[in-house]
Amino acid sequence: MLFKDQVDFVRQHLKKNRLRVFTTVLATTMGCAFLIVLASIGFGLQGSMEREILTDQKLTEIEVYGDPQKKIDVDAIRKMENVRAVVEKTNAQLSANVKFEERTNSVPVNMTEFDNEEKVGSKLSEGRLPQNSDEIVVGYHFAENLLSKAELKEQEKLNEESAENDTTSTKQAKKLGYKESLVGKTISVKLQDYDNDKAINKELTFKVVGVSEKPAKDWLIKNTILFSHELKGEFYNIYKASVKDSKNIKAEKDMFYPEIKVHATNLEAVKGVIAKLKDKGLSVYSVTEQLDDINVIFLAFKVGLIFVGTIAVLIASIGIFNTMTMAVTERTREIGVMKAIGASPKLIQRLFLMESAWIGILGTAIAIVISYGISFLSNWLLPIIIDMATDSKQFQEAGIVFSHIPWQLILVASVISIGVALLSGWRPARKATKIDVIQALRQE
Amino acid sequence: MIEIKNVSHTFAIGKKGKEKKVPVLKDLSFDVAKGEIVSIVGKSGSGKSTLLNTIAGFMTPEHGSIVINGQETASMSEVTHAQFRLENFGFIFQNFQLMPGLTAFENIELPLKIKGIPSAKRKVKVKELLQQVGLENVSDHYPNELSGGQQQRVSIARALVTNPPILLADEPTGSLDSETEQDILLLIQSLNKALNLTFVIITHDEEVANIAHHKFRMHDGELVKEVL
Repeated sequence: MLFKDQVDFVRQHLKKNRLRVFTTVLATTMGCAFLIVLASIGFGLQGSMEREILTDQKLTEIEVYGDPQKKIDVDAIRKMENVRAVVEKTNAQLSANVKFEERTNSVPVNMTEFDNEEKVGSKLSEGRLPQNSDEIVVGYHFAENLLSKAELKEQEKLNEESAENDTTSTKQAKKLGYKESLVGKTISVKLQDYDNDKAINKELTFKVVGVSEKPAKDWLIKNTILFSHELKGEFYNIYKASVKDSKNIKAEKDMFYPEIKVHATNLEAVKGVIAKLKDKGLSVYSVTEQLDDINVIFLAFKVGLIFVGTIAVLIASIGIFNTMTMAVTERTREIGVMKAIGASPKLIQRLFLMESAWIGILGTAIAIVISYGISFLSNWLLPIIIDMATDSKQFQEAGIVFSHIPWQLILVASVISIGVALLSGWRPARKATKIDVIQALRQE
Repeated sequence: MIEIKNVSHTFAIGKKGKEKKVPVLKDLSFDVAKGEIVSIVGKSGSGKSTLLNTIAGFMTPEHGSIVINGQETASMSEVTHAQFRLENFGFIFQNFQLMPGLTAFENIELPLKIKGIPSAKRKVKVKELLQQVGLENVSDHYPNELSGGQQQRVSIARALVTNPPILLADEPTGSLDSETEQDILLLIQSLNKALNLTFVIITHDEEVANIAHHKFRMHDGELVKEVL
């Protein structure tokens, strides 16, 4: 029998029992949609968590920590295979008191190797990276924290109000600070030791050449200055000349805490570089390692959800089994006639399997459409409902995805659903092939 | 065309473990030549339907050989026999055995569909047969919208549609009135002459049996040739 005729034959028989077929397809749809929606929660939450981890982080970046007493051999790391660049950032035990026109700001002293920052493609929202040690990059929020005396008082007042009302006055706070671009402007800096109340008298001047990129997280404030690492010696000498009897800082190494970031050539090379760094006795942190751990946990979670969903599909399969068994019983005489006039048992079996497959395919197709609808609605409505219940706007602002349906999930759910439909139709189809022609023809 | 040699068969009757073996076919042998009409007449329970079922391959005899068109069919597998039936036999049943959900046209078309013949060729063949059996004006009627005679004509057309050399008829007029019976018998005779078809007719009706070239009487599983 030609495939087209087989399809016509199946369609004709399905039309005969529309209500029974409809309820069976409905059961299959419900089972399959339950499976997809349930598993989509795993995919959605995993995606949200991955996005949260990856925000502001580079996949090829590896943070390296060593023994505080020993200097990390950065040159040896640079020579390692698959290492694109190593950026040594330094946090100094100092703060920088900034003065620009009549405005002031106080920020921690951070230093970096700008030539290596360029190699790893560090991005700025404005300007360029420094080329000399008297050039600096300021943080994205530096200008708005550069306040005049009147603005300082206003900010204190606002802080008191927000503490009383337990709300943030970000809108009002945004009105404060320096409004124009700082790029090309010169600022004066006085260093201050954390242990002393007063700044060191020596005034340094720096030209702002760049403003750092806007942080991906809204709540993160980047009120910083990035100095060139070449200034380490000069800063230490200024400090040493002013503070004679420091308890904590006795040598240059006590003043600066290095933070080494190794950049691998590509994502595939990260694991190899991590292994080599660990071999050198260094502690490392990489977002890819964290992602690997999370992926393993979520894989188990998703498998669990798919398993629970599959139970729903199996329950629906009972409906298919019943429908097909009844179809075989009702059509015993017809099957007998077909066998008598030359239909092979294989053809009879195929026709019945096609019927159960059709129920499975239609149920799955409808389930996919419904699942996307439920997924869309839950991602849209759930944050609103939760925020209404908790009287906040956290979930809506965080952009948490509760449900995500990737094509892999559709594939797995379709295979399970259609596979189970075929399996449920298998026994009735086999029963149809075993029908005795003589007995069947005797039926009225 | 059909060579039956020493065919015997018994049925096990009664409860499991306490079955009685009842012989239904006793060492039967006969031949049917191409283009002949052979009738097998007998009372109910004489074994005539069992004989037809063994020839058709619906059941396998315990002993003996059945050779049709030079091929031993008694030892064929179910799948092979299905294909063999499709190529060699047409069936006419007492109760017509039409598909209730299919029109007259679709019922006739069914064996061609099973055979895998494309739609265009099928249409030509079915129209030709509908004309031949005089049913072209009821081709889109369902079986329950047709008279007994019309249903049997559809059944005959379905049996002829694959151009089989042999037609097996089990009580072909058993459900028809005497007038319609005559029409069907005339149709069988005309088809036999026009297409040189071989007919094996099982009947309890002497009038039907008498249209045959050779008549056999079946009694308690034994077959006796009668002179016409």
